[in-house]
Amino acid sequence: MKARFILALFVLAATTPGVAASAELAITVKGPKGEPVADAVVSLIPLDSPAPPPAISAGEVGQQNQEFTTYVTVVQAGSRVLFPNKDTVQHHVYSLSKAKKFELPLYNPGQNESFVFDVPGLITLGCNIHDWMLAYLVVVPTPWFAKTDPAGLATVAAPAGRYRLELWHPRLATLVTQEITLGVSESARRDFTLTLKADKRIRRGGATKTGGYR
Amino acid sequence: MAFRLFRFRHFSRQLLLLLVGLIALVQISVYLLITRANENNARKHIEQSLQTGARIFRQNLNERIEFLAGSAKVMSADAGIKPLLMQDPVDKNTLRSVLLSYTDRVKAPVISLFSPEGELLALTDNVLGAENVGPFGELIRHATAGDMEQASGYSYLGGRLHVLVVVPLYAPFPNAVAWFGLAYPIDTAFANAIKNTTLLDVTFTSDPAEPNARVLSTTLSPIMATAVARHTAVKQEVSSGSEMLSLGGEPYVTLFESLDLLGEAPARIALQRSLTAELAPARELERIVLYISLAALAAATLAALWIARSISQPVQQLAAHTKLVAAGDYTRRIDLPREDELGQLASAFNHMTTGLADRDRVRDLLGKVVSPEIAAQLLQSDMKLGGEERVVTILFCDLRDFTSFSEKLPPTEVLALLNRYLDRMSIIIEQHGGVIDKYIGDAIMALFGAPVASPDAPERAIAAARDMARALDLLNRELMSEGKSTLGFGIGINTARVVAGNMGSKTRLNYTVIGDGVNLAARLEGLTKDPAYGTPIIVSDATLAAMKTRPPARELGEVKVKGKAESVKIFALSAKGESQPPYAS
Repeated sequence: MKARFILALFVLAATTPGVAASAELAITVKGPKGEPVADAVVSLIPLDSPAPPPAISAGEVGQQNQEFTTYVTVVQAGSRVLFPNKDTVQHHVYSLSKAKKFELPLYNPGQNESFVFDVPGLITLGCNIHDWMLAYLVVVPTPWFAKTDPAGLATVAAPAGRYRLELWHPRLATLVTQEITLGVSESARRDFTLTLKADKRIRRGGATKTGGYR
Repeated sequence: MAFRLFRFRHFSRQLLLLLVGLIALVQISVYLLITRANENNARKHIEQSLQTGARIFRQNLNERIEFLAGSAKVMSADAGIKPLLMQDPVDKNTLRSVLLSYTDRVKAPVISLFSPEGELLALTDNVLGAENVGPFGELIRHATAGDMEQASGYSYLGGRLHVLVVVPLYAPFPNAVAWFGLAYPIDTAFANAIKNTTLLDVTFTSDPAEPNARVLSTTLSPIMATAVARHTAVKQEVSSGSEMLSLGGEPYVTLFESLDLLGEAPARIALQRSLTAELAPARELERIVLYISLAALAAATLAALWIARSISQPVQQLAAHTKLVAAGDYTRRIDLPREDELGQLASAFNHMTTGLADRDRVRDLLGKVVSPEIAAQLLQSDMKLGGEERVVTILFCDLRDFTSFSEKLPPTEVLALLNRYLDRMSIIIEQHGGVIDKYIGDAIMALFGAPVASPDAPERAIAAARDMARALDLLNRELMSEGKSTLGFGIGINTARVVAGNMGSKTRLNYTVIGDGVNLAARLEGLTKDPAYGTPIIVSDATLAAMKTRPPARELGEVKVKGKAESVKIFALSAKGESQPPYAS
């Protein structure tokens, strides 16, 4: 997954003309007990110049083994996201989020639907017939973003300049923002320690073996 | 016989056994009563708990059924499943994934979907096959036939006991397009849940009529549960009351109930509680009671020992003291500073000792005032006036010219000399068995043969007279060596029948003898003053005649005694002729 982002950044850097010198920002995200936090999304929104438009349609939230293939997906606004059914059963993916409301009524394995997400914001994805299925699509107004790996690390390469740094995580109560200025060929580093809410995901097929008696 | 067993030589042991025995008896009875009452209470309490437990169990099952049915009804109204059922043919895989999604909503481990005809469309449990869900079909047929909105029952699913509920999927109501079948196991978790609410052990066993009744689920250990199953197989019938089962060495009060199954022989439910566990708090109390009892017993033992000692020790002291007093030691006193009866007894005893000492002193004094024989006679007799006639030899002894002698000396010296003389004479008289009747100034009146009769009284009297004469010679030699004047005496002896006894007034008496014979003896003593006779000792013929062997004596002739018609022959007895008394001493 990390490789994909590095690839994406490489492509971004290569296809962004006029940006001569780029800086690199490394962040680490930890929980209240110092444990590494994966799936935290960091994005750098330029404050002085408009962000370049998305170059490619990058984004896929597939369904496999009655689960979404990725838990957290980040795309730049204006990107097209695919929802391929790679499963053996039908699915019914939907979103009731403000940024984009949609549904893909019962569709069979092999079908590959897609949508363009123009409005930045958080989209929570569910399946109408499988309660436990849950995924997040984070649409950001910038091409400079990254997602922490299981070690809680993420790196963003961006041109020098002034940015608003936004940090998001599914278990974070409010968005963490701060202003940051990146110098030419500078390697900046930011560490975050987050207060996280309880993980409330439905455990698939859990807690039913005892007939409700625990 | 038993009485003999409990004879004690020591009062303290008796008291100890009595006190400790009584207290132990009371304590043991109390302890046994408490134990029995506790056990009865515990058993009664368990029986009540078992009845309550049985009701809670039924209610619990009914609530589960209602909850499941309610959930299934909500589920069946879910829009999500309807488009799936619209497809033809039905996508059973997706349908199963939907049912799996439902399991979490309704918390039922087994959810199945059937067509109205009873065909299995989907089943969440991948272990149970279509061949194992027959009981659902039976319930659906039953509900369809009865046009019921839900049906429930108990049955085995894949060999495990479950409670089953079927609810129709209406589309629209009242058109049933499918049936939901829900089930949850009556397993160990369920049994534990019952145990949590009721504190009872629960065991489900299969039909007791089966060759090997199985334990379906239990809160007991496998060995104990197997024992319960075996018991149901032996017993078969379900009784209304509880019974006592011994499991793993522990007593369990057990209640058996029957659970009807769909199209099968009923299963059996055993509700039980360990009597030991129920009794645990009571046992704790009993142990405390036991400790208190033992402590009380120990305290009682000490108290009894203390009381026994405080009684027996003074009693032993008194006994020892009594022995001393019996032996004649009146000097000791018991020191027992107590206010109680024993103290009173001790002081009474001291008074008694004092009294005895006084009496003894009186007896001593009596011996000095009168001769020991008379004293004994006085003490033995009732001190009555009056006497008896008996033959007595009377001896009179009087100092010569003592009146003129005493005028020459100061009175104290006279008394000293007189006492010295009387002492010597008295000793000799007593040595010979004579009794000093009285001192009359310087004269001595002595009796032989009274108050104690003596066959050789005359011999003794004469021997005494001779010894007295020798003793006087000895005394005179002493007096001469002291440069003092010598003494001379005369002795008259007569033997006669006289009256002997206590004479005097009622308050003051003397033991003495009276009669003519006494007067004659006095007269014979008076005759010794006559120089014509020339002898200090004059004896009457009566005395000599009374002797077994008549001693040689010089006849002095006859004298006429005053007041007497006939004359009496008298003899002079030489004081120096014989060295030995004529009788064995």
